[in-house]
Amino acid sequence: MRDIKIFQARIMRGVILLLFGVIVVELFVLQILKHEHYKGQSLQNRQVQIRVKPPRGRILDREGYVLADNVYIADITLPRSSLGTDGPDSTLARLMDWFNLPVDETLERLRDQKASGRPRLTLVANADMPRIAAVEERRRELPGARVEARARRRYTEGELFAHIIGYVGEVRPEEVGDEDDHTAYHPGDTVGREGLEASWEGDLRGEPGLFLKEVNAVGRVVGRRDVPLRPVISGQDVTLTLSRTLQDSLSSAMADRQGAAVALALPSGEVLAAISNPAYDPNLFTTGISSRDWQRLLDDPRHPFLNRIIQATYPPGSPYKIVTSLAGLEAAVVGKWTHFDPCFGAYQFGNRAFRCWKRSGHGELDHAGGLVHSCDVFYYQLGLRLELEQLRDMAHLLGLGQSTGSPFSAEVSGNIPDTAWYDDHYGPGKWTRGVMLNNAIGQGEILVTPLQMAVMTARVALNDGHLKPRFRIREDEAIPDPVRPLPIDVENLEWLRHAMTRVVDMGTGTRAKLEAIEVAGKTGTAENPHGEDHAWFVCFAPASSPTVAFVVILEHGGHGGAVAAPVAARWLTAYFNWCDRSSGGES
Amino acid sequence: MRMDWLPRAPSSAVLLWTFAALCLYSLATLWSVTEGIRGPYEMTDSGIPKAIFWRQVVWVGIGWIALLVAMRTSLQFFEEAAPLLYLAAVLLLVLVLVLAPEVAGSRRWFALGPLRMQPSEPAKIALVLMLARLFSTYVSQQRQLLPVIGSLLLAALPLALVLREPDLGTSLVYAALWLGAVFWFGLSWVFILSVGSPLLSAIFNFYSESVIHQAWPWGAYLLLLMAGLTVARFRLLESFLLVLANIAAGVGVSFFWDGLKPYQQERILTFFDPTRDQFGTGYQAIQSKVAIGSGGLFGTEYLQGTQKGLAFLPERHTDFIFSVVGEELGFIGALMLVALYMVIVLKGLEIASKARKSFSSLVALGVTVYFAFHVIVNIAITTGLLPVTGLPLPVMSYGGSNLVVSAFMLGLLANIGSRTFES
Repeated sequence: MRDIKIFQARIMRGVILLLFGVIVVELFVLQILKHEHYKGQSLQNRQVQIRVKPPRGRILDREGYVLADNVYIADITLPRSSLGTDGPDSTLARLMDWFNLPVDETLERLRDQKASGRPRLTLVANADMPRIAAVEERRRELPGARVEARARRRYTEGELFAHIIGYVGEVRPEEVGDEDDHTAYHPGDTVGREGLEASWEGDLRGEPGLFLKEVNAVGRVVGRRDVPLRPVISGQDVTLTLSRTLQDSLSSAMADRQGAAVALALPSGEVLAAISNPAYDPNLFTTGISSRDWQRLLDDPRHPFLNRIIQATYPPGSPYKIVTSLAGLEAAVVGKWTHFDPCFGAYQFGNRAFRCWKRSGHGELDHAGGLVHSCDVFYYQLGLRLELEQLRDMAHLLGLGQSTGSPFSAEVSGNIPDTAWYDDHYGPGKWTRGVMLNNAIGQGEILVTPLQMAVMTARVALNDGHLKPRFRIREDEAIPDPVRPLPIDVENLEWLRHAMTRVVDMGTGTRAKLEAIEVAGKTGTAENPHGEDHAWFVCFAPASSPTVAFVVILEHGGHGGAVAAPVAARWLTAYFNWCDRSSGGES
Repeated sequence: MRMDWLPRAPSSAVLLWTFAALCLYSLATLWSVTEGIRGPYEMTDSGIPKAIFWRQVVWVGIGWIALLVAMRTSLQFFEEAAPLLYLAAVLLLVLVLVLAPEVAGSRRWFALGPLRMQPSEPAKIALVLMLARLFSTYVSQQRQLLPVIGSLLLAALPLALVLREPDLGTSLVYAALWLGAVFWFGLSWVFILSVGSPLLSAIFNFYSESVIHQAWPWGAYLLLLMAGLTVARFRLLESFLLVLANIAAGVGVSFFWDGLKPYQQERILTFFDPTRDQFGTGYQAIQSKVAIGSGGLFGTEYLQGTQKGLAFLPERHTDFIFSVVGEELGFIGALMLVALYMVIVLKGLEIASKARKSFSSLVALGVTVYFAFHVIVNIAITTGLLPVTGLPLPVMSYGGSNLVVSAFMLGLLANIGSRTFES
């Protein structure tokens, strides 16, 4: 027994020493050979480089009323590793169970988020207090889970500014920049999608910062100091030229009718109000729009997403007679008091009769009478005395058929056809001078946007050839550009303004008449091949020293004088009240 | 002047000094674990209350009493009482399954007022004594099968009960105690082969089936075994039975695997692939390695470990206390601790091999195996060499039952040692 025990004791001592030896060697490997590696790991464990998103700049109206700001909401987020290839980890499984989330649906959603490259997955967006409390209190059971504050964009006026301000959305994979560049767009970042949110992205966004933070095992920041590597630069607040009050008045003046309206302050060109009807609620995009709502908006035949102010083109109709008149006067093919053949309701050109809108005819009118009563026959004859290029040049001078220089990237330029254009579209010699008749009254292939029409009206009212619509009040641009007169005889312009005053006073636009203030305007009824005519009204007021230009188009509205002019009257009344209040408030 | 209760021989004195050193080491580490981290941190809460430290102070006192009791009681008494103690231990293990409240999915503790008692710990002492008594009665006889099978049953009963709790780590300790006793009792190669080879077969089959999902490692092992048996000229019947046992063990492990709790399966699988679960048991293993590795040669300085202080290290006052030593006191501090345990184990082996009575020898060996297994496996877990299994580091880890049992075991060893070297 004793001998065997000595033998066994040797084996056992050998085995035990060997095992202790293995442990000592392993300790040597970990603590001496791989020390630097693990030291780094330990540092990495507790030091987290956190990219801090800047608060997006607010959008204010001209009186300082907040139109778009950020509200802070809490999301419950998980690391990407929570959703492995073989399913959810214990934290995710536990949370889905506690919150009674539908498993398949939730996993599907998280998988999409993971595919988009987000650094963390959002399990619950905009979580309520009980859920936040549940996660905060039971952190130790939920390794990896975090409650994260996130800024959500809020549009205080909803539909009212939808087409002006637009909305923000999450960056798309193709917009995501270099991961190592903290200022580039990272997955999950917000970016302006439409409207001025998109146009002024550079100012509104600001610049993300970079911080080094120390965290404990459950990811809670414990370091007393953050080490700022790069500062957060907040987005700039942006002040619009628009007024919420005037926007509101314009919205009610239009009373939900399909169309667009724009008001420009003179002489600055500041847009005071601009409406495109119908609109949508931009908040839908920041709270998460359901696919049903989205489809409903997309399928709406009235196209609520179309920004009619700058994106829709219409034949200008009779207000274009302003262009024709000025072109005629400048070319000296017509005088201020010229009489053409009288109007009997139609004009015979070749083998075709071109109708006047007034079937019974206007009889004999002079040039001003032709404008005041919008006599088509008068303008047919004037058109025949002009060349396409003369019309085109005048239209361009007044700002039609080209971008107005607005900040909207979606702005379209419209179309002012000339000889080259007709040759292009119909072939040289395949069209006749008959197109002059249509061009003279703003029909045919001419297409303009409501904003262009507002610019035209403002330029005529002010005799400012460089007036542009402005949407933003910038302190560094406090001094307005000097007025640069149109290359048009001032007498001709004065004649035009006088004629436009008579339009409202006694012509087709009497329904735009105000009690105390003289309005100068021009009605229009644009023929629309797709249905009922579009109703136009363009105007400025007060006629003698204009402070505002206003344009409205109501799609399928019918007669401009009957339906569009009253909208102008309603809004102008509100506008002048607003002016009185503002000046009263200042004094 | 001679104080009667002091140890009488230098051999025992070494054990007592070592135990005292371990107690101080443990209390110092627990003080650090229950201190909030210092430095530029807002968090001062350590996550583990100071009360843990003070309770351990009390347990150290109780531990010393247990040690002196074990040292001063006659070994004859233990030999005679072994069956009774064993029965009592088994009874407690049954009771804990029936009566104990479920804590975190297992039933392990009795609550005695403010203190909790884990019956699977004293059962280790009872098993050591019972096995020693059984083998010592058969030591002079030639029969081998009867005591081995008898001892297997004696060890299997508490092992099965503890597995039911479930507590995989402790059940492995029982298995180790049994293996150690059988080895010390002395066995023929045939016997070792017939027990050892099915065990290897089980491991290979598990590796084939559950880890890499390929059949070749197990197949290769079986072929190698058969070739070896042929070369060693084993009798045909023996070879046949042996191969059959190997196949049965291989197949059996599949059933055993299916019978494991999911968290146990996960732990074992995570061992083979730690990236499997970064936040579960893999997380513990990774964080423990980071703690030890970041300690370097001299450590981060006492109280300054961030893996400990910022709570990255789980179970830092119990099963992973060694990692705290590794982080704060470095390679040198860890080696000192390992050295203390080596003193106990080597001294225990010496006492076991020199003990004159076979009962004493087997008890001493049992204590040695107890310390060696606990220490080696615990440190191997914290350094990532073995899968994470709940197993305390004797004396160091917070926990009264384990401390008192370890102290008692050391008392037994000192008792035997003092008699061995006395005359």
